Amino acid sequence: MTAASLKTTPITATAGNACALGVRDLSVNFGGLQAVAGVGFEAAAGRITSVIGPNGAGKSTLFNLISGAIRPTGGRVTLDGVDVTGRSPDRLLAAGLARSFQITNLFFELPVLENLRIAAQVLERPWHALRPVGHSRRALAKADALLERFGLSAKARELAGNLSHGEQRRLEIAVALAAEPRVLLLDEPTQGMSHGDTADTGALIRSLAGDLTVLLIEHDIGLVMSLSDHVVVMAQGRKIAEGPPAVVRADLAVQAAYFGHG
Amino acid sequence: MPEATTLRTLSDPGHAGPASRLSRLAPVHWLALIFLVAALGFAAVAWATGNGFYLRLATEALIFAGLAMSVDLLLGYTGLLSLGQALYFGLGAYVSALVLRDVAPSFWLAMAAALLAGGMAGLIGGVIANRVKGVYFALITFGLAQVAAKTVYNTRALGASDGLIGIPQIRVGFGPVSLDTADPLSFFLLVLGLTVTAYAGLSYLMDAPFGRTLAAIRANEKRVPFLGFNAWRYKLAVYVLAACVAALAGALYPMLRGFVSPELMFFETSGNAVITVIVGGVGTLVGPVMGSLLLTALRSVVGSWTEHHLIVVGVIFMLSVIFLRKGLVGALLARLSRRGEAGRTAP
Repeated sequence: MTAASLKTTPITATAGNACALGVRDLSVNFGGLQAVAGVGFEAAAGRITSVIGPNGAGKSTLFNLISGAIRPTGGRVTLDGVDVTGRSPDRLLAAGLARSFQITNLFFELPVLENLRIAAQVLERPWHALRPVGHSRRALAKADALLERFGLSAKARELAGNLSHGEQRRLEIAVALAAEPRVLLLDEPTQGMSHGDTADTGALIRSLAGDLTVLLIEHDIGLVMSLSDHVVVMAQGRKIAEGPPAVVRADLAVQAAYFGHG
Repeated sequence: MPEATTLRTLSDPGHAGPASRLSRLAPVHWLALIFLVAALGFAAVAWATGNGFYLRLATEALIFAGLAMSVDLLLGYTGLLSLGQALYFGLGAYVSALVLRDVAPSFWLAMAAALLAGGMAGLIGGVIANRVKGVYFALITFGLAQVAAKTVYNTRALGASDGLIGIPQIRVGFGPVSLDTADPLSFFLLVLGLTVTAYAGLSYLMDAPFGRTLAAIRANEKRVPFLGFNAWRYKLAVYVLAACVAALAGALYPMLRGFVSPELMFFETSGNAVITVIVGGVGTLVGPVMGSLLLTALRSVVGSWTEHHLIVVGVIFMLSVIFLRKGLVGALLARLSRRGEAGRTAP
């Protein structure tokens, strides 16, 4: 399986890293508005690829297209070379693609642990859905491990809705990780976080790469530049530049569109 | 409906370690146990005083409790408001009546036939109703039941507006022993046993990952597909399950009454079931059972004073929506947990 070989690819092999997520000529229009127009790029396996651009550039719509929330009107999405264009989110998750949301999207009326347990339940055999929860050992172990890793153990029994904003943002990422995806889409994970939390989350995302291919939407340019292996710049639904962070930063078109005014 | 969640949290045994079984029994199950003891006590008193009327009334309440539990699966656990659950209840009643009258006076055959019919109708109804969400789902379930009810009402072969009469009383065999549906105590105990079995089985299922995924759908349906679940399939599954429960409950009705009528499918039956669930406690399963007993008793008592007993039921419904936000069971559980905490803090 390609999945196994991708996981064992050493992170040092910079050149010729396999493409885990391929986007080609992806487009969608809402009525007359071309929200995403012919966007294409490749996210290398085990790497962090960031999508940046001003508000309304179509970044979140791009995520919605890739993750199956919206059907594209044109173009292709491939996962490890397999065409997954237009697949429903649950089938994409089964194929190894998970995502988080810009606006925290949790089960607010359920406990934190239960949020993670539900998200990890796909690791279990289907018939475990009809057995007592205690039999879903792998899902429970996964949920516990994520509680630990994201510093939420003390809040395990708290309702997700009662967590602080920063904790909810952490839980949002943890929930996306629970299914052990190979490709993870993070939509502004640090949105509304304090400076310290943002730095912590950056370190966390860095630690995810290697095992995981990360596609990141992020507004904090400093974070993007320090984290990313590859940066895609969007404006008005189109890709206007891509490359390593240093190259993108130097690009005049990017400066005009994004860094603006300065 | 956040009220229901708090109840679920109370009843959630969580992932606690291997503590003793009794201490792990959730408060809501304690309530069910107390209810069962009270029901058996009632049966003993009614039998000793030779009061068949109240036994049959209680049996009817338990039969409608089955319908209410099926509404609770949808409303309380999955967040789907069905205004047409009487369709499956009535279907079960008619199928059972036809089997008992025309095929064979066999309890098990009648139940099996009702289950099969309920499951198939639930599958068809579920595919139709689950195409839409929210208010539209409620309206479609309402419409489906009205269409079915009017069809039965106008079908001469099914007795039209008169319904089917002359359903024979039967003996229910359990291997070597058997009991008679004509005997009020025996039939009450049988229906009580079935109600307890349904409660236990459904509670188990709702606490297993399957039921908890339904809770996730109720909490935030949009998120569920991104966690790898096909929400539509889950909603269809619980809809079929609820239809089966309603059909089985309905199948018992002609055994008690000896007749069935199209009113069983009418909106009044569906609406009463929803009221029962809300008065009893949404998302608890035991709430609908208690609510059904309370409302049936009230209807009978108040009905003997005045024809306008619906006014009383309506007022009780409004009062419970305003003052008992978590229903009867919510109020009782709050009391239990307060007492439990007091007991724990005392040395």
